[in-house]
Amino acid sequence: MYSPDDTIVAIATPPGRGGIGVVRVSGPAATDAVRAVLREPVDLPPRHATLASVKGASGCLDCVLATRFPGPASYTGEDVVELSGHGSPLLLRQLVAAVVKAGARLAEPGEFTLRAFVNGRIDLVQAEAVADLVDAVTPLQARVAFDQLEGTVTGAIREIDAALFDLVARLEASLDFPDEGYHFTTAAAVAAETQALLGRTQALLADARRGRLIREGRQVVIVGKPNVGKSTLFNRLLGAERAIVAAAPGTTRDLLAETVEIEGVPVTLVDTAGMHATANEVEAEGVTRARRALGVAAAVLLVLDGSRPLAAEDRELLRETAGRDRLLVVNKADLPARWAAEELEADGRTVTVSLRGDADLDRLRAAAADMLWGAGEPLRDTPQLSNLRHIGLVERAAQALARAAEAAAASVPEELLLADLQDARAAFEEVTGKRTSDDVLHAIFARFCIGK
Amino acid sequence: MKTFDVIVIGAGHAGCEAAYAAARMGRRVGLCTLSDATVAHMPCNPAIGGTAKGHLVREIDALGGLMGLAIDATGIQFKLLNRSRGPAVWSPRAQADKRRYGAWVRSALDRQPGIEWIIGRAGRVLAEHGVVAGIALEDGDRLRSKAVVVTAGTFLDGLMHVGPETRPAGRAGEPASHALAESLKAHGFRRGRLKTGTPPRLDRRSIDFGKFEPAPGDPVPAPFSFMTDGIDRPQIVCHLAHTNTRVHGLVRSSIDQSPLYNGRISGVGPRYCPSLEDKIMRFPDRERHQIFLEPEGLDVDEIYLNGYSMSLPRDVQQELVRALPGLEDAVMLRPGYAIEYDFVQPTELHPTFETKRIGGLFLAGQVNGTSGYEEAAAQGLLAGINAALRVSGGEPLVLGREQAYIGVLADDLTTKGCLEPYRMFTSRAEHRLLLRIDNADLRLTACGRRIGLVSDERWARYERRRSRYERNLRRVRRTSIAVGAGDRAPAAQLLRRPEVRLGDLAATGAVELDVAAGQSHLDLSSVETEFKYAGYLARQQAAVERSRRSERQPIPPDFRYEGVPGLSREIVERLTEIRPGTLGQALRVPGVTPAAVAIIAACAARGRPQAAARGETPRRTETGGMRRPSNAAGPFATGCRATAGRA
Repeated sequence: MYSPDDTIVAIATPPGRGGIGVVRVSGPAATDAVRAVLREPVDLPPRHATLASVKGASGCLDCVLATRFPGPASYTGEDVVELSGHGSPLLLRQLVAAVVKAGARLAEPGEFTLRAFVNGRIDLVQAEAVADLVDAVTPLQARVAFDQLEGTVTGAIREIDAALFDLVARLEASLDFPDEGYHFTTAAAVAAETQALLGRTQALLADARRGRLIREGRQVVIVGKPNVGKSTLFNRLLGAERAIVAAAPGTTRDLLAETVEIEGVPVTLVDTAGMHATANEVEAEGVTRARRALGVAAAVLLVLDGSRPLAAEDRELLRETAGRDRLLVVNKADLPARWAAEELEADGRTVTVSLRGDADLDRLRAAAADMLWGAGEPLRDTPQLSNLRHIGLVERAAQALARAAEAAAASVPEELLLADLQDARAAFEEVTGKRTSDDVLHAIFARFCIGK
Repeated sequence: MKTFDVIVIGAGHAGCEAAYAAARMGRRVGLCTLSDATVAHMPCNPAIGGTAKGHLVREIDALGGLMGLAIDATGIQFKLLNRSRGPAVWSPRAQADKRRYGAWVRSALDRQPGIEWIIGRAGRVLAEHGVVAGIALEDGDRLRSKAVVVTAGTFLDGLMHVGPETRPAGRAGEPASHALAESLKAHGFRRGRLKTGTPPRLDRRSIDFGKFEPAPGDPVPAPFSFMTDGIDRPQIVCHLAHTNTRVHGLVRSSIDQSPLYNGRISGVGPRYCPSLEDKIMRFPDRERHQIFLEPEGLDVDEIYLNGYSMSLPRDVQQELVRALPGLEDAVMLRPGYAIEYDFVQPTELHPTFETKRIGGLFLAGQVNGTSGYEEAAAQGLLAGINAALRVSGGEPLVLGREQAYIGVLADDLTTKGCLEPYRMFTSRAEHRLLLRIDNADLRLTACGRRIGLVSDERWARYERRRSRYERNLRRVRRTSIAVGAGDRAPAAQLLRRPEVRLGDLAATGAVELDVAAGQSHLDLSSVETEFKYAGYLARQQAAVERSRRSERQPIPPDFRYEGVPGLSREIVERLTEIRPGTLGQALRVPGVTPAAVAIIAACAARGRPQAAARGETPRRTETGGMRRPSNAAGPFATGCRATAGRA
């Protein structure tokens, strides 16, 4: 019953109720199937949204905008028609049922993307990026996913891979054609080129950290001694009164976690109980949990009260979080300061704020984003790797290139060098698509006059 | 009517190995050839070996074939290529005394019981109900057999070109086979047309050798065969020359007389062995090209002009020869020529070299689109073995890509087919570091023994060598060596340093090794390599293990690709034609994407009824317990990979 040549249909928008819902039809009979469910015969000019009504059991099922994308210039490479209807799940299901009745079949999960991939409309990286785009929570996440869809990551990897391929071809030539009177390359050039390839790959990986951050978000824990304003900070960043805030110290006893977006980065904020020695059993348990959260979080917001002298608990937390990704939030700037932020003999970023109003919120967010990114502007125009699988492959390539660079510096024979370079190539090609030993030979024969 | 177990058509390098192997395995063999004067003939370069080709010969020898012994017995200049590199790419090459080589092989076949010569021209392959029944000679005689191995070389509708002269021929001076070509066509085999060529031959006595640079062989010849202790025959010297601007100008001005460039030749030639015309026209920037003057034997006057193959008219060839300093008065004994011939797309074959269309019919050698004596011999050997196994009902023999260059050759041909003449290169073997000339016997001799190819003498020698090897590995592992004041380091660790050589350690007595006279180089290098390159070998071995999963995952022979969702029509057609036996092989089919294989894997695993029981297609699987667990020694199979299920 399955065949790549039949016509498939599915709801393309996420489950649940929305303003609009899109039903996508793809395959040779897509246009016919859609025409069959419309009440009046309409002309569907390519890539124009046309208003039409869909036949229902009694009259009109729904009013839709129908857009036809003739293949191969469509998402899947086949004829595609998209119907934008009203976002009721019930309506959308009926719409799909009608199209199925008209000759299409329900798509398997991911089958549209699979067809796009099989028809060469997108490569493997892009195929995976589609899922990312659909899952994108924040706009920046969508931007990175979009970059991948456009093929910028593939482009960056392809460039490195092409240089690597060229090096491999010349080294292979020197092994397979030792008597040709050719010097295909020199040891010094090989060492230099390998080192350069390693550098480029590592740069891509450095960007990957950034990409991964966007994709996965990070857990950020808020800690501090009691009553310094941790929960206020939590609520401010959240933009909602999620945590109970009270003047009495020790109000927060359990962990509170909520996902927010800080400058485009999805962050899971964790509010904790104030750290101090306590005899209260419930509070003590809260402190234990806070400590555990501190242990696993990717970054720390350490809140200090600028209106009171630093306490032993503060100093201990400063020590404990030294070396971590952290931001020191010196709160209560609306009260007279008892010490200056500069007095803290601590590294890392510091921001002095009053959480009483919203005035300092932007500064706070910027400082937090700054910490999360390391440094610099998140929306740089460099390609970013945000897919774990790709990061893994590029890491593998970097390791192999590092071995090769070391070996090349030590002038080991070409065939050993090639073992590592081919490993790197294999890793890249899992992203960009495979090349064979025949391709290597083609490259050699195209450039060099081989053969006696 | 005469009846054989196996009939081999053609007595070139493929045919001789096929006949010899089948006869050694106890089959009654008929060896059909046009003339017994051109047995194991070298119509082109009088040399055996070269990069990767030397590996093939070494493997043929390890399995018990002829080629290594033949060249050791008749070689006149030996050279180990890539000596400056690591042991994985060392490759032996030798100039052969062409006439003595053929005579040696001829007498080896005569000494082997079970081979009967059939002097005649094969006309038709006879088949009944999809199974081979024998052959018909062109004169009408019919011969019955249970298996037929066709090794037709360049004879199928061969067409020779020398300038404007064109005539049907299989080789210089030998008629082409039209009837056999028609017979294979009638059986429905997909064919293609290829081209190859050969240079002019000169009279030695008319050459001023003083004007050339001498190109000697190695001072100590490295033998091809594991049976050879040393070669003490006197070695000849070849000579090196270069083309010059006069040559290049002459070629350019007469290019329209070359059948390669005036449209008379349609066949595809090998890019790794370009004609002089191609060298000059395709690489105009290159100022000169190498040419070697190679004697065709110790007591013949023919000199082979290696690197000067062409199909220009005879008089232009003469002029081109005389344009080289030292050849001003050279007498051209024979002109160079180009030859076009039919080949059968090797995707018509199982990796056993049995055709998919006709059970018991095997094709081997140049007829499968390859070039080179070594590639031909390797296929002939495997085809002969599998023809013999088919007759006896034994399990077919398929060698893996991680096991032998022969396995790479069989898999490449049958998975990808040929677009140009196929030559072996080390770069084709992804597990190259494991496939070395020093361990070909450790990889393959036990396999040759099991199927009955390896003689008692070879086996006894191998067992001694193997136990020396294992003992030496143990000894190196146990030994530590004094380094500096009071410090000691394990020998295994020291050997990883480039400057530390096992031979030196053994010579100073730092490591006590068991080394056989005449085999010391082999004994040392196979042990040294295991330690020197331990990290690389381990990584490559790990890669083999990783790929093994997909290599072992069978695709049912009757798997219906057209039923798989998401496969493009092109991929469906490719896979339906090739019918890969495993997911690993499917991934190597050109145009097949990893995503496509992932989908196939999912569908194949979805519990479709397995057709393996019917077993119409040999399926590559590994028989349990055939492999010794790997150690530092690498992946040496003590047995062979065999296929389960057969026609």
